[in-house]
Amino acid sequence: MRKITILFLFLSFFYACNAQNFENSNKDDVAINQFDDISNEFQDSYEDDFDPLSGYNRVMTSFNDGFYVYVSRPVIKTYKDVVPSTARKGVSNFFTNLGFPIRFINNLLQLKFKNSWEELQLFVLNTTFGIAGLINVAEENNFNLRYHDEDFGQTLGYWGVGEGFHIVLPILGPSNLRDTFSLFVDEYASPLKPEDKSFYLTDSTDKSIGLKTFKTVNSTSYTYPVYDKLRKDAIDLYPYLKDFYNKRREEQIKE
Amino acid sequence: MFKKLFLIACLMTSLFAFEKENIQKQMSDNIHQVLNILKDTNITKKDKSEKIITILDKSFDYNIMSMLALGRAWKTISNEQREEFSNVFIKRLKESYIDKLELYNDQKIKIANLKENKSRLILNTILVGKKENYPIDYKFYENRKNNQWYVYDVNILGVSIIQTYRKQFDEYLKEKTIDDLIKYLKEKNLKA
Repeated sequence: MRKITILFLFLSFFYACNAQNFENSNKDDVAINQFDDISNEFQDSYEDDFDPLSGYNRVMTSFNDGFYVYVSRPVIKTYKDVVPSTARKGVSNFFTNLGFPIRFINNLLQLKFKNSWEELQLFVLNTTFGIAGLINVAEENNFNLRYHDEDFGQTLGYWGVGEGFHIVLPILGPSNLRDTFSLFVDEYASPLKPEDKSFYLTDSTDKSIGLKTFKTVNSTSYTYPVYDKLRKDAIDLYPYLKDFYNKRREEQIKE
Repeated sequence: MFKKLFLIACLMTSLFAFEKENIQKQMSDNIHQVLNILKDTNITKKDKSEKIITILDKSFDYNIMSMLALGRAWKTISNEQREEFSNVFIKRLKESYIDKLELYNDQKIKIANLKENKSRLILNTILVGKKENYPIDYKFYENRKNNQWYVYDVNILGVSIIQTYRKQFDEYLKEKTIDDLIKYLKEKNLKA
């Protein structure tokens, strides 16, 4: 019995020492066994999507990409290099604060009352103590308040409205029927809409476009490296970006 | 007797394994190690990549990743093509993953939680950025033979890496051959 026990221990030890190798050599055939099982989680090809605008979308995607590479990217990079980080942060805070009505209303419309309440607190705090939103007071003081980005497209998605077909917008990039329509709806709640009322900041289209461009350049100065890295993975840019947009929106609606 | 011996042997193997209970801790250790390497200014970019790859190799099952990425075409190609495809694809995958990690050089990472979804596990991590948070989810499957868990897919910003490759490869192979694809990936690897 003793002999067996020793042999046993010896073998076990030996076995354990070789565990790593054992596991590597076995990975292959195990993988084949479980391949079909896991494979079901994924889809093949883009074909099944309804894409009536695909011709136009492709052209617009290459236009946008060219515009990005030769126009917006150099501008944004220069802006990032020239403007100090604190200033960019202030601008970003300011515009985020201005986005309050859109987020507030859409959180309400999705029955996310707690989030709406947080948005309201942030808006009051940052507008008053944060000098019209330039400083995110809540963040500086580690208050447990955060933004809940919701737009009308997400609200419609929340209530089960489908995305419709894909539309690539000039300069703005991938979108779909639902989200394009929603852009116009959200515009009414945005202080950047040009209209001669006290709620809106500008009364002319030129000023409005100027502010919106400034807002976009500033916010993209944070995010453009992400796009740079992602587009490297593309074999065919249009379907890749389209898919990426769809998945991302699905995730945002689920949140 | 033999059964017992096998049982004990199996138990001892688990000392070295990536087990369900350890995933969260071990992955968290791995990710932090990776971030430390990224932050280190004393090592060259090439050394960084190599070090990161050594860490990743423990938990990523590249074989199944290449199969999943190629999808239905996998079964129709020869063994040599499989091997060649895996080689170039894995290289591409590693580079693309490291490339993405570089985005977050000086930020923090939070290991959020481990979710169970049917027979898979999903580890949610969040890279805390200056303006936005970027979710990165690692998906694990349990290898039936040795009961260890491996990463078979990574979701970046809610988008599956394997899925995007798979759709693109599938589409590509409608007009071109697997050899074209291998050639294309090779060229892409050279450029990166």
